[in-house]
Amino acid sequence: MVSLPERIILFMLVAAGPFLLIVVPIGAFLAMSFFRMENQQIVHDLSLANYAAFFSSWTYVKTLLLTLWLCAEVTLIGLLIGYPIAYFIWRRSGRIRTILLLLFVLPLFMSYIVKIFTMRSILGLNGFLNQILVAVGILSEPSQVFLYNQNAILFTMAVIFLPFVILPIYLSLERIPRSLVQASADLGADIGTTFWHVILPLSAPGTIAGALFAFVLALGDFITPQMVGGANGFTFGRVIWSQFGLAYNWPFGAALGTVLLAVALLAIVLGGLAAQRQKV
Amino acid sequence: MPTPTQVLRTLTRRSVLTAGTVALAAPFVLRRAYAKATELRILTWEGYAEPEWVKPFEVANGVKTQVAYVGSVDEMFAKMQGSKGTDFDVVAFDTSTFKRYIDASLIQPIDLGKVANAANLGAAFKGVAPIMRGDKQYGIPFAWGSLPLVYDKAAYPTAPDSWSVLWDAANAQKLIALDDANNSIVLAAIVLGIKDPFNLTDAQFEQVKTKLIEQKKLLLTYYAGFDDGVKIFADSKIKAMFSMGEPQVPGLKGKGIDAAFTIPKEGAIGWLDCWTISAGAKDVDLAHAWINACLDKKVGAYLSDKKSYGNTTDEDANKRTGFTYADKLIFLQTPENFEKRVKIWNEVKAAP
Repeated sequence: MVSLPERIILFMLVAAGPFLLIVVPIGAFLAMSFFRMENQQIVHDLSLANYAAFFSSWTYVKTLLLTLWLCAEVTLIGLLIGYPIAYFIWRRSGRIRTILLLLFVLPLFMSYIVKIFTMRSILGLNGFLNQILVAVGILSEPSQVFLYNQNAILFTMAVIFLPFVILPIYLSLERIPRSLVQASADLGADIGTTFWHVILPLSAPGTIAGALFAFVLALGDFITPQMVGGANGFTFGRVIWSQFGLAYNWPFGAALGTVLLAVALLAIVLGGLAAQRQKV
Repeated sequence: MPTPTQVLRTLTRRSVLTAGTVALAAPFVLRRAYAKATELRILTWEGYAEPEWVKPFEVANGVKTQVAYVGSVDEMFAKMQGSKGTDFDVVAFDTSTFKRYIDASLIQPIDLGKVANAANLGAAFKGVAPIMRGDKQYGIPFAWGSLPLVYDKAAYPTAPDSWSVLWDAANAQKLIALDDANNSIVLAAIVLGIKDPFNLTDAQFEQVKTKLIEQKKLLLTYYAGFDDGVKIFADSKIKAMFSMGEPQVPGLKGKGIDAAFTIPKEGAIGWLDCWTISAGAKDVDLAHAWINACLDKKVGAYLSDKKSYGNTTDEDANKRTGFTYADKLIFLQTPENFEKRVKIWNEVKAAP
């Protein structure tokens, strides 16, 4: 038996890590968003001025809305590519399944920046894709259309975040008892009907989790748009980034960060509610 | 006949040898004369306090030097601000940060009477506006470079004479530019012929913004750093770019692009690093002596020949290394409002 004081000490020891590494930084960040700048110094007066400045700037609000739209597209593409892959892996058996799974999760061990550079060298003018298309005769000369535009951002993000989509979907498929699929077949349902009425609903929680991963990761990404998005590769993450460094407007940057955090939390809550309803 | 570089090398080696011998004797010979300070504390960028001039300086003044290097403008300012200048005697930084240092009283005026070698300074480096406050001079120019127009000679056999190539619709998707709020705005203002690109009126900000949005439509992309610019230029058949600095040209040549840089007729942004004396300097005379030593022509020649910077004292070294355009540059100054510039730049970036 552990006594009460011991339990409290134990709890405090365990809680110290998350508290110091998560609660304190986010708290500092929230506090910062209520300060203001004066003559290149941070003044510790509390006000909502930074939030007012954000909501009254159409440029910034518009950028946030466009970023949300972009992230929704990334999520959709991620699901359209990720679900079939997860399904395919799930249908294999034994060792092949493990190897396939490992193969698709492997990119997680690679640096994020390396992955962006890799995408750039695939999509670029002298890139792999152009070389193939020219060799096969589809293009007469290399084209610039694959890189430095909005589609390049979509595609790059979807590919980079793919493992985060595949894993949760695969895990929820894995939990579906094979007997249910067999029962559905015994009752005369074809593969399509079984998928639509049995597999898809039962894998919904994992699918929603995968979608959330893609959405939230895309929301905070400020490097991919800069690297592959061309002159229009501008997202809300870039706006936040620009407030640090030379501008040295940390309070405003923190307020924008808080807005982004709130949006991400809202997405997670909505996703959670949707997943809950699916279970019933 | 030995080339100037060889001469320099020999001289340097000899002085280093002498330095070794004399340094041993120095404590006995010179301690009395320089009782005030036995050490000079230098805060600077790498490359600005090399043994080639540090050693002779130590010998000549019978002191030791202690060099602290920093990687960023902000870090340097923080180090000075943190000690109100008392941790360092001399500091080197570029013209764009002078306002900050003078306003915070972190540096003190220089007595040119104590810097005999100031006579070596080229015409372009005398009375540079941002280092003056009233009739007091707070810095002495030491090294410089530019943010030039870099172009592919295959596209332009003769150097373009105007920045307008970066606004030429015929070059659409064959242009790239540096992703930097302040430099982009300063350049656009220079191209628009605005007299003071560091203090823009609201109307001028609008003009600059329109100009930059116009350019944005023609750009393949903005680039984020030195190597990124070189890589995109080489990989994407780029014709011309707003460059971060002269060393991007050898970078491009290394990737097989026959590139060159030019300072167009409108001028170009220049950076100019200067030596200053900290407000907390222990021995002000010693600090002046250091600046004087840095203005030796041999030091200037070393900077150009070995480090590929423009120098401020040895015109011949500048000529043989191609740094002949200091008078065409607009040296950076602290702008009226960084926050505003970042906001305008974000509006350019967000424009459809």
